[in-house]
Amino acid sequence: MSGAQERALPGPARRLLARLEMPLSRAFDGVHNPMHHLGALTIFFFYVALVTGIYLFIFYRTSLEGAWASVEYLTREQWYAGGIMRSLHRYASDAAVITLGLHIVREMIRGRHKGPRWFSWLTGVPLIWIVLWFGISGYWMVWDELAQYVAVSSARLMDWLPIFTDPMSRNFISNEAVSSRLFTLIAFIHLVGLPIIAVLAIWFHLLRVRRPRINPTRKLMLGSLVALLVLSVLMPVYSHAPADLDRVPLSLDIDWFYLAIFPLMSVTSEGMVWLIAGGGTLVLAALPWLPPGRKTPAAEVHLPDCTGCGFCAEDCPYGAIDMVERSDDRNFKLEAKVNPDLCVSCGICTGSCPSSSPFRQRRPLTTGIEMPHFTMEDFRQQIDIAAEKARGAVLVFGCDHGPRIDRVAGPKTHTVSLPCVGMIPPAGIDYAMRSTGYSGVAIAGCEGCDCHHRLGDDFTRQRIERERQPSLRKRVPRERLLTVWMKAGDETRLDRQLTEFGKHLADLPGDEQTSDSRQSGRREEVQ
Amino acid sequence: MKRLARHAGQLAAWALFLVIIAAFAMGPAFSPVPEGSGELKISMAHLAERIEPCRPLTEEERAELPPTRRVTEVCERGRVPTLVRLRLDGELIIDRLVKAAGWQEDGRAYLLEFQPLPAGQYELELALRDTPREEGYDMQHHFNLALEPGDSALLEIGDGDVVLRLPERR
Ligand code: HEM
Repeated sequence: MSGAQERALPGPARRLLARLEMPLSRAFDGVHNPMHHLGALTIFFFYVALVTGIYLFIFYRTSLEGAWASVEYLTREQWYAGGIMRSLHRYASDAAVITLGLHIVREMIRGRHKGPRWFSWLTGVPLIWIVLWFGISGYWMVWDELAQYVAVSSARLMDWLPIFTDPMSRNFISNEAVSSRLFTLIAFIHLVGLPIIAVLAIWFHLLRVRRPRINPTRKLMLGSLVALLVLSVLMPVYSHAPADLDRVPLSLDIDWFYLAIFPLMSVTSEGMVWLIAGGGTLVLAALPWLPPGRKTPAAEVHLPDCTGCGFCAEDCPYGAIDMVERSDDRNFKLEAKVNPDLCVSCGICTGSCPSSSPFRQRRPLTTGIEMPHFTMEDFRQQIDIAAEKARGAVLVFGCDHGPRIDRVAGPKTHTVSLPCVGMIPPAGIDYAMRSTGYSGVAIAGCEGCDCHHRLGDDFTRQRIERERQPSLRKRVPRERLLTVWMKAGDETRLDRQLTEFGKHLADLPGDEQTSDSRQSGRREEVQ
Repeated sequence: MKRLARHAGQLAAWALFLVIIAAFAMGPAFSPVPEGSGELKISMAHLAERIEPCRPLTEEERAELPPTRRVTEVCERGRVPTLVRLRLDGELIIDRLVKAAGWQEDGRAYLLEFQPLPAGQYELELALRDTPREEGYDMQHHFNLALEPGDSALLEIGDGDVVLRLPERR
């Protein structure tokens, strides 16, 4: 193999994270584990806030006298609709902060901020500010004591910066100083400005992510909506007393998800808040390069094997492959071209290349597009290496980021760990069963919607089910194929499933057919 | 049985989610000022005297100006920085030389301070120097402040007047 050391294997933090998430995976059946949908859940909570916000705005009055009273009307008199909408609006926004926080921590622990993925990370950082501004501006609109505290404190924060000569806080020194126009401005920022900026920023954040999962599963949408509704009914949101700038609020039930910076400012100083916010943003933004990592190898196109079919470009989860005009004299229109800056080294392109077939005679075995650190030749060698022991054994394909298959390797299994199971060309499964004579093939990849490279699990499933090109040939006995999707650390369960699979294989009739083809050692040209 | 356990797990997860939101969405309560305290806001927007006084134009100087711009006097733009000293019960709590705003330092001098104070009776002595003089003050004021818990009193220093405002007692 050309360099296993170049493959970023999960460290202890990632294994710990996987272990912590395992109970949720058990409860939510893997695919629906909320931890696999944190970005999408954040977007969903924004939708909820958007819809409820539109309802609230219908009744909201953008004036000094009207603001508090209109929110109070919604909360008290219209508790059954407006009150619930208000509570949902607040709780969905809070939920977004929780999922956003977890999203950041999770992507970081999984190392998905490094290498070519730096773009998603860096463009995510301003989103934190946007989300905070959203919340803070929302609290102004109620114009109760909490709004007053937030308004005065945010103005004081702004005044710390050398921007305004006439301090912004002077707008809040007395009730007479506050103008109704302020509410028109804040409502505009909260209802029009920030939503537009947020949509643009999310679009930018996902620019380099192909087929981003922007919706969580239906089950999760429903579950979280019901949960938020229950909370809205059990604990309806209320306002504080109307703002009165001649008084200081003595006790505030603050929303710590959005407003924690203000108490921090009250107990430290404006400068400290800016230091933490500014310093934190810079450190976060620099994380992809701290410490500078080695560049991961990029996929390489081998033109003699590339027919310009475009499957690899279609499947690349990061849009690293373009189809461009042919540069050799073969009679094809297009050829694949890799942008190394976008390639995350997953090898999914090899799995999608119809030329990736171990049946082919040539040595070394080549294909249209492959990873320099795990070539098709490496792939075939890895399968062939245990050919003598193959009869009656199970070939287990694993993924570097999923369960550690080396831990389950018994005498009756031979394991091959790949950068991603999406790298397995369907012909490779066929080959393992027909030409090498394994009695079964197991694929153990990352859990549903949690593929380290985003789409490897989906594509593998679809290729096996013949919903995606290149698809697994019909002749491959599906009863001899096992797919398991689980987290790193779930090796005991994998072991159990493999043992059961072994028993199932032993019970299957017609083992002779497999051994015949193995004995003939036949290899065939697929293309 | 397994299904039941899964459903229980999901329920527990959503419950935990709710508990976390409920715990921090409206509390724990926070007090911006210590218990039994109020605050004194000191706000100044004050136009100090010019560094150079305005001077009338001579007839010759006026004649050189375009007919539509024949003003009678010229003024240098710069204004003196305002010295603000505020004593609270004799203790100097503000001692600042505030520059006039603007590139040319020709605007008002702005100052805004928030001073949390325990409720009680205070004596405030304010002294301002806003002319080119080196010694003494141009404006001096004395106020008695009776601060109740939660009061946000405002000492407002304008161009020519200084007022201490307290909330109306309801
Ligand atoms: C409003 C806030 C945010 C939303 C709605 C959001 C949403 C998303 C979504 C939908 C994905 C794609 C998931 C997928 O299909 O695999 C994603 C990926 C990602 N996000 Fe965010 N995100 C937000 C903020 C952030 C922040 C603040 C950071 C980090 C500072 C961040 C870092 C990432 C990274 C590193 C990825 C992975 C991209 C990859 O797989 O290469 N996101 N986000």
